[in-house]
Amino acid sequence: MSVPKFRTSINDFLEGLPETVLIRLFYSPATCLAIFRLLPAMAQLFIMAMLFNDKPVAATDLNLWVQEGSTSKQYDALEKLRGMHLVKQSQGMLTLQKTFRAGLRNALSGGDHNNSFGIPCDTEDKHKVDIEFLDEHANNQWELILHFMVGTDTGKIPNNGVLSLLRHSGLMEGSTPANMRITNAGFQFLLQDVNAQIWTLLLQYLNMSEDLHMDAVEVLHFLFMLGSLELGQDYSLAALSPTQKIMLDDLRDYGIVYQRKSSSRRFYPTRLATTLTSDTGALLTASASMDSAIAQKERDTGFVILETNFKVYAYTDSPLQIAVLNLFVHLRSRFANMVTGQISRESVRKALSNGITADQIVTYLTVHAHPQMRKSTPLLPPTVVDQIRLWQLEMERMKAVEGYLYSDFSSKSEYDTIAGYARDLGVMTWEKPNKRMFFVSKEGNQQIVDFVRRKVHSGA
Amino acid sequence: MLSQDEYSDQYNSSESAATGDDDDEYTGRPSLPSVHLRVKPAPPQKPNAGDSTSFDPSSTVKGDSISRVFGRAEFSYLMLKPDHTSRPLWINPLDGRIILESYSPLAEQAQDFLVTIAEPVSRPTHIHEYKLTPYSLYAAVSVGLETNDIISVLNRLSKVAVPQNIIDFINNCTVSYGKVKLVLKYNRYFVESPQADTLQMLLKDPEIGPLRIEGDDYNATSTTIVEGLVREKAPSMGELTIPGTNKGSNSSAVAGGQAEGDRQHQSVEDLFTSVVGLDREDDDDMDAVHSFEIAHESVEPVKKRCQEIDYPVLEEYDFRNDTRNPNLDIDLKPSTQIRPYQEKSLSKMFGNGRARSGIIVLPCGAGKTLVGITAACTIKKSVIVLCTSSVSVMQWRQQFLQWCTIQPENIAVFTSENKEKFRNEAGLVVSTYSMVANTRNRSHESQKMMDFLTSREWGFVILDEVHVVPAAMFRRVVTTIAAHAKLGLTATLVREDDKIDDLNFLIGPKLYEANWMDLANKGHIANVQCAEVWCPMTTEFYNEYLHETPRKRRLLYIMNPKKFQACQFLINYHEKRGDKIIVFSDNVYALQAYAQKLKKFFIYGGTPQGERMNILQNFQLNPEVNTIFLSKVGDTSIDLPEATCLIQISSHYGSRRQEAQRLGRILRAKRRNDEGFNAFFYSLVSKDTQEMYYSTKRQAFLVDQGYAFKVITHLQGMENLPDLAYATVGERRELLQSVLLQNEEAAGIENGDDAENFVGRGGGYVKSIKKAKRTMGSLSSLAGGDDMAYVEYNKSKNKEKTRNPLIKKLYYSKK
Repeated sequence: MSVPKFRTSINDFLEGLPETVLIRLFYSPATCLAIFRLLPAMAQLFIMAMLFNDKPVAATDLNLWVQEGSTSKQYDALEKLRGMHLVKQSQGMLTLQKTFRAGLRNALSGGDHNNSFGIPCDTEDKHKVDIEFLDEHANNQWELILHFMVGTDTGKIPNNGVLSLLRHSGLMEGSTPANMRITNAGFQFLLQDVNAQIWTLLLQYLNMSEDLHMDAVEVLHFLFMLGSLELGQDYSLAALSPTQKIMLDDLRDYGIVYQRKSSSRRFYPTRLATTLTSDTGALLTASASMDSAIAQKERDTGFVILETNFKVYAYTDSPLQIAVLNLFVHLRSRFANMVTGQISRESVRKALSNGITADQIVTYLTVHAHPQMRKSTPLLPPTVVDQIRLWQLEMERMKAVEGYLYSDFSSKSEYDTIAGYARDLGVMTWEKPNKRMFFVSKEGNQQIVDFVRRKVHSGA
Repeated sequence: MLSQDEYSDQYNSSESAATGDDDDEYTGRPSLPSVHLRVKPAPPQKPNAGDSTSFDPSSTVKGDSISRVFGRAEFSYLMLKPDHTSRPLWINPLDGRIILESYSPLAEQAQDFLVTIAEPVSRPTHIHEYKLTPYSLYAAVSVGLETNDIISVLNRLSKVAVPQNIIDFINNCTVSYGKVKLVLKYNRYFVESPQADTLQMLLKDPEIGPLRIEGDDYNATSTTIVEGLVREKAPSMGELTIPGTNKGSNSSAVAGGQAEGDRQHQSVEDLFTSVVGLDREDDDDMDAVHSFEIAHESVEPVKKRCQEIDYPVLEEYDFRNDTRNPNLDIDLKPSTQIRPYQEKSLSKMFGNGRARSGIIVLPCGAGKTLVGITAACTIKKSVIVLCTSSVSVMQWRQQFLQWCTIQPENIAVFTSENKEKFRNEAGLVVSTYSMVANTRNRSHESQKMMDFLTSREWGFVILDEVHVVPAAMFRRVVTTIAAHAKLGLTATLVREDDKIDDLNFLIGPKLYEANWMDLANKGHIANVQCAEVWCPMTTEFYNEYLHETPRKRRLLYIMNPKKFQACQFLINYHEKRGDKIIVFSDNVYALQAYAQKLKKFFIYGGTPQGERMNILQNFQLNPEVNTIFLSKVGDTSIDLPEATCLIQISSHYGSRRQEAQRLGRILRAKRRNDEGFNAFFYSLVSKDTQEMYYSTKRQAFLVDQGYAFKVITHLQGMENLPDLAYATVGERRELLQSVLLQNEEAAGIENGDDAENFVGRGGGYVKSIKKAKRTMGSLSSLAGGDDMAYVEYNKSKNKEKTRNPLIKKLYYSKK
């Protein structure tokens, strides 16, 4: 479970790339290191075993390195390595891809000559910023996006780049900032931890960059480089390609890097960047991620208490968490470290009509359940869970059928003939004989129209 | 959110209010009902220059984006105390709600405290809510809490400093209330107060001042006279023991386990005091009370005047020093033990060695009767018990005989059938509200009985099921019967008409309210699985439903064949499990239709007393009779510990109280302490009808007590039940036709019955008078069978024919 979905999805993305592109990626030691870090532990083990060994290794030798009963894990790891073209297999012998081997060796032993780990500025920044400032900056930028998604009125709107990315990725829909609304996928996105959220957005960014004819290799190089930078250090723009310089503008909007102004010749990675490929653990929100990254200690993340009387008490002061709750809870009052609210039919229906599903609400409440709640089984009051699901079912009882309404028949016989024909065809969805009205589905309409024409012709 | 300017404005004004002296002690205090919480987003702390923790409005008012969602309920400006995690509660400055973490180590003490000063709003598993109201604070004061104690304990338990407007609110509500007591002792009336200046103020009053009389000191050693006031030691529990409690029985053998428990309790107690830090010992001033004497005949004027100047008097009965009224020879039997929560509720009543008037709220089946009996045994004076029906009159009488040593000849029963008096000087009378409150013509006999009741002075009056009686009737009862102490008992202090506040002044404050879940967890009442069964309407019924008048709609959703099938299935299922089942229906037509179709016994308002008793006995003892159908008459006061399963097919609209009362019928289930025992409570509702809406409303009270209603949308295996009723379309059509033929009256709820005939409405009350007027007639008329409300049913020629043959047999064989 330690490898969440997003990691695998960047892996998936890499696996989907053609071998030539991958080999170009391997030229950057920083990328090699990042890819290595993204691999499952078993795959990492295999690579380390082969890295400083120039000779091919017999595939059967791998069996000696793993415990009995882990065959499936071993198989998965090997599949992953082959999928990313990291390992070549021929005649039962395994070889590490040459370029990757060189790149990773370089990364580990420090023989990097193409500045893939970024060039720290050698001149003193007159406007030097500290880590605290960077955290604040990253936090603000990221939460601005999330707030925009949950629809809290902050008075600020993210830049166009961000908006188009949100639209492009299907997290939100709507043409103008004012009418943009969160989608089902967007709500799912909010439920992820911040690292997963960033990767989701960056993957969408990758997809979008292809449409914009940006070189995926350069984009990936830059992303992986960011993951290996040092927090609080300023880096020079000198080593960046033009594509990467364009990217820098976008990443600035997400809060992943900080530049004092766009013409500035130096940039700072924020904590969002430096934790990209690290394994700091699932973090809740930007602010919580900050807290825990700063405090460097594990904290219990559950904060929501759900009672059998549908009342919700959430121990949080994060505006974002509150905003997420506000999507499906009728919030009542707020204290410095807690908010109270009530789940009601109306509040849930509002969420459902926004495309959030009952399952998502239940998942959110389960994932974020307060430690006190964890003492009881089942975790959430079953009656409340049932009720939320029932509210969803209630919404689904109505089925919309597109079609056409026929009315204003001049005589009963006319009505009977045409309605009878529609009934025989099986396209009638509703009828009210005493008012001489019926409704046919969109597909069946043409046939009825033809029939009426024929009738009119023959009658006339 | 407030803009910066507005904010600082408000802030300044509140600061001046906070620092303003409370020198105008006696003027301009708002009267109790008009005290409202005012919104004042003011910080409780004063800004302190140079202090690092000083308050800075701009930094604490987070201008964060989410604030506007909460509007005025945004309290994040209230700064948390540094050690807030060890304190269990928050206070909402806007409406006086208190939110309590019930898993905090301090929760138990905090709950005891909160239940005294605030109304419990909801008490589920983790987080409880209470609400400060003028009445709850009045109650707190009357059981002896001081304003400063309330504020300081609240402050110590709270995660945030108590907001200034809450402090003001508490001050306003408590400054004048409960300060003045009217005490009867040594057969003389004293106006008593812990604060001499309050009495001085009263003595300066032009009306009260002259009424004071200078008597001789009755006990010169323990009193001193200061500025014309008698000063003496405050009353205390002293040697008074409530019978049946541990202190009373003085058991010496304490098991090791219990000692361990005590020690743990002790450590929690320590923790409590370390956080709460209350040290009552240094409160020397509080240990003295001041009083002046007034003459017997001045009692009424003084009470009236005190009410006018917003110093309502609390009445306390110093029964130990009452020598004028003869003692009643009554004590609990040695075998009778009372439970901890009963003891706690009684300790609130007798906290200072005197009897306070008030209301004790315990769930049905938690032993309200025993609380009343124990209180009577403590006071040991003449007692009058008023209850709602003649059935419960008999139950009270029987309970008195069961639990205590009172001699049967000292118990008198006063109902329409029975008019007894006791012969001795002191005794016990059990009667109904309608008998006593009747103001119309009475029979000679009952008039004589009333004269007997009104001519005496009663030590104690027990008012059972106080929630059902309207204020007007109470006023009459309270004024006609001269009693020194009044105790109201109820399970559900909720009324749909919100007239509950009247009870506060007519009887007294709520002294204690038990936590349902707590009692269930400790095995005092049964664990109940609640379920709401959704029965889809059949197409034909729903079609008619959409086109009928609202009253007829009721009948359609009650008679929904799917509901009938669900009912049949559940009865079948639970009878096989060995459960005893009660089916409730408010609608008499449905009650009869269901019962006759399923061949079960039923009881409704028109059922003669003898037949009722017969059916109930059969239900209790006869293994063949496992299911009975009851109308509203069964809601309260019918005591059937055998019942383990309830099915409700129709109910009184959105009445939360009825739901709770009905649930109460199975809370005292005999088998409740069997391992894994669950009682079942099913509420059958027809889907997509009004019933769904009412059902949610009805459950509100129980849900706030922590009960969870599981929704059942489909009963597994219902279709395969052999002999399933209305399984074919033809049968359903037939049923629909017969339902449609019914007139609208059949759709109504049952009018007037023993238990509820005076629920909040004038009309109902008139009927009850009519009933009390009857003096002769058949057995059925004595049982209420000829009551106005039933005339239609009785006139119906069908009645005899449609009577369940089983019942007929039973009834006539008895004759």
